[in-house]
Amino acid sequence: MQLAELFARADDGPLMPQDQFVMRRLVPALRSSIKDLDITWDKNTFVNSDDGLADRVFEAALRLLETVGVYCPNSDRVMEFSAAEIAAAVAGCPEMVEFGEGAERQTLRARRPDSTARPWVHVGGGMNVSDETVYLRTVEGMASIVAADSIAAPSLPLVEGKPARAGSPQEIMAAVRAVALTRDGLRRAGRPGLPVLNAISTVAASSTMFAATHPEFGMRPSDGYLIDFLAEMIAGYESLQRVAYFTTLGAPIASVATPMYGGYAGGAEGVAVLATAYMVAGRLLFRSCYHFNAPLHSRLLVVTAKPMLWANSLANQAITRNMPMSIFNTAYLAGGSGTRTSHLETAAYLLAVVSSGGHVYTGHAGSAAQVDSLLPIDHEFQAEIGLAAAGVSRAEANRMVAVLYPLYESHLASPEPGRTYDEVYDRSTGRLTAKDLEVIREDVRDELVTVGVRLTKTL
Amino acid sequence: MRQEDLIVSIKRAVTDGRREEVLAATRSVLAEGMSPREVIEAALVPAIDEVGRMYVAEELFLPEMMESAETFQAAMEVLQPLIEAGGGAVACVGTVVLGTVRGDIHSIGKDILALLLRTAGFSVHDLGVDVAPFDFVSKAQAVGADIIACSALLTTTLTAQRDVVEVLADEGRREDYKVMVGGGATSREWADSIGADGWAATAYGAVEMARRLSAAAGYVAD
Repeated sequence: MQLAELFARADDGPLMPQDQFVMRRLVPALRSSIKDLDITWDKNTFVNSDDGLADRVFEAALRLLETVGVYCPNSDRVMEFSAAEIAAAVAGCPEMVEFGEGAERQTLRARRPDSTARPWVHVGGGMNVSDETVYLRTVEGMASIVAADSIAAPSLPLVEGKPARAGSPQEIMAAVRAVALTRDGLRRAGRPGLPVLNAISTVAASSTMFAATHPEFGMRPSDGYLIDFLAEMIAGYESLQRVAYFTTLGAPIASVATPMYGGYAGGAEGVAVLATAYMVAGRLLFRSCYHFNAPLHSRLLVVTAKPMLWANSLANQAITRNMPMSIFNTAYLAGGSGTRTSHLETAAYLLAVVSSGGHVYTGHAGSAAQVDSLLPIDHEFQAEIGLAAAGVSRAEANRMVAVLYPLYESHLASPEPGRTYDEVYDRSTGRLTAKDLEVIREDVRDELVTVGVRLTKTL
Repeated sequence: MRQEDLIVSIKRAVTDGRREEVLAATRSVLAEGMSPREVIEAALVPAIDEVGRMYVAEELFLPEMMESAETFQAAMEVLQPLIEAGGGAVACVGTVVLGTVRGDIHSIGKDILALLLRTAGFSVHDLGVDVAPFDFVSKAQAVGADIIACSALLTTTLTAQRDVVEVLADEGRREDYKVMVGGGATSREWADSIGADGWAATAYGAVEMARRLSAAAGYVAD
């Protein structure tokens, strides 16, 4: 489908108010697809191993997308797609995408459930940092993680110590500065060509994003560019503007979606179907070649609660068994940075999603999030856990997660507070000062080895 | 059908979100001689409380809760005029004006809070997304709100929450309303720094906060 025709759907589709789209169109269609295709969560299961169920979730997602479409709130119209158009988008999904420059140029390849193939390791996160020194040190620290294939750059929401508002000139200044600092941090780590896959994570206005992606500042067409859906099945002009711009640049696009457990998606079954539908819709509407699959528990604000582990990993399976899309699962954890809880949660999550065909994306705190909480020591360990999860079968992962889950479950509703960069590192040198974090990490390593995770002792 | 059976029917209709059934059972129980206030206290309030419990227990979710709330409201639209005709008024915990602040178009967290507040007995005026600070204040004045609740998911839209507090102060109305802030980009520290009266990490916490603020505002339910 030509882009112009695609965008015209936002201006020509059926008119309806947003609440009617959600409650009269999306919700009934989601319920009936779950019922018709017999999609049921066995609450004793953390990681599904039933290929038939994964394929039914995929079928339900295709049916949902065809029946419901995607809502454009700027025009109050529904963008509708035929089964043939959806099938063409699935068939056209590229199996491989090239990222990065020079020595850091690599190929991201779609994985399959139970695959032994090494997953791509994406480290960091779009969390806020308070000043440029911490920003630079954080990027340098993340890029220095040997296993890292790409980084997610942090967010710098301040200009001269003052907040940068959405759509303001200061937002452009902050975004441009963040891009320049990111590239600088990568050079300091000796990996100038390392790709940034979350360009640009927290920018609200398309104009800001376009300004900051000028190559003069350090972004490249070999980086990855994000386009978000809004919950649920909503994409406005801001998102479509980005599609128009990034496809013109020839830059790889990632679709991002956060279906909410407990929200309009309903329970675990609805989240699994909707998360899968978003990945297909991302390919169709955003021309995405990889996806950040990030369903979230609406009350706990985590991805590591039991229904989320099942739904997120099942959506990974539904996609990777039926189309060659690379998936990263954004990990919002309960535990704050540097805590035992956060490591245990990461292990459970990565075992679930990597064994289900996903790649590795290291995590960060959700409800316990705080400024300056991106700690390279955490992400280095998480990368190691993620690599150890490759080759673990879904059945093995289910067994391991069943052991790990009770170790952190009680902390989901009352998260352990974490540490900040200055509490853990010397900002003038970037050296670790909080040696107790190494002790916590090694204790968790021992616990994970006992469970069967194939890690090796380092200290 | 006996009154007890009709009460059970009303409760079940609310928890299952069946509008026509609740209307039929409500009219029948009134015809049996039960007072409108008794219907609310014996059937509707326990039913909507049960819906809230089921939501927290993850036995039902937002769409089902919305259907239950609509069913509850349908019955109230039958009962409320009868109570008012008798010179009474329906109890309300407080009045909240809420929306997502200017520059931010994320709605689902705000939608969940609106529904939870309604089921908790608040009168809610939802202004939607991308709401200008002056619109929060003018709506609060128009409806006699107790609380203004401002949501922001994006860090870059946080300052719009501060603008609401500032507009109130500039207009000399800061003491007229309690201001709650929330959303993914917010924190207790942020709420304190802008002089907000309340903050909660989740929609569930925000309902408790609204109850406390409403009580502190001296709201007396009749």
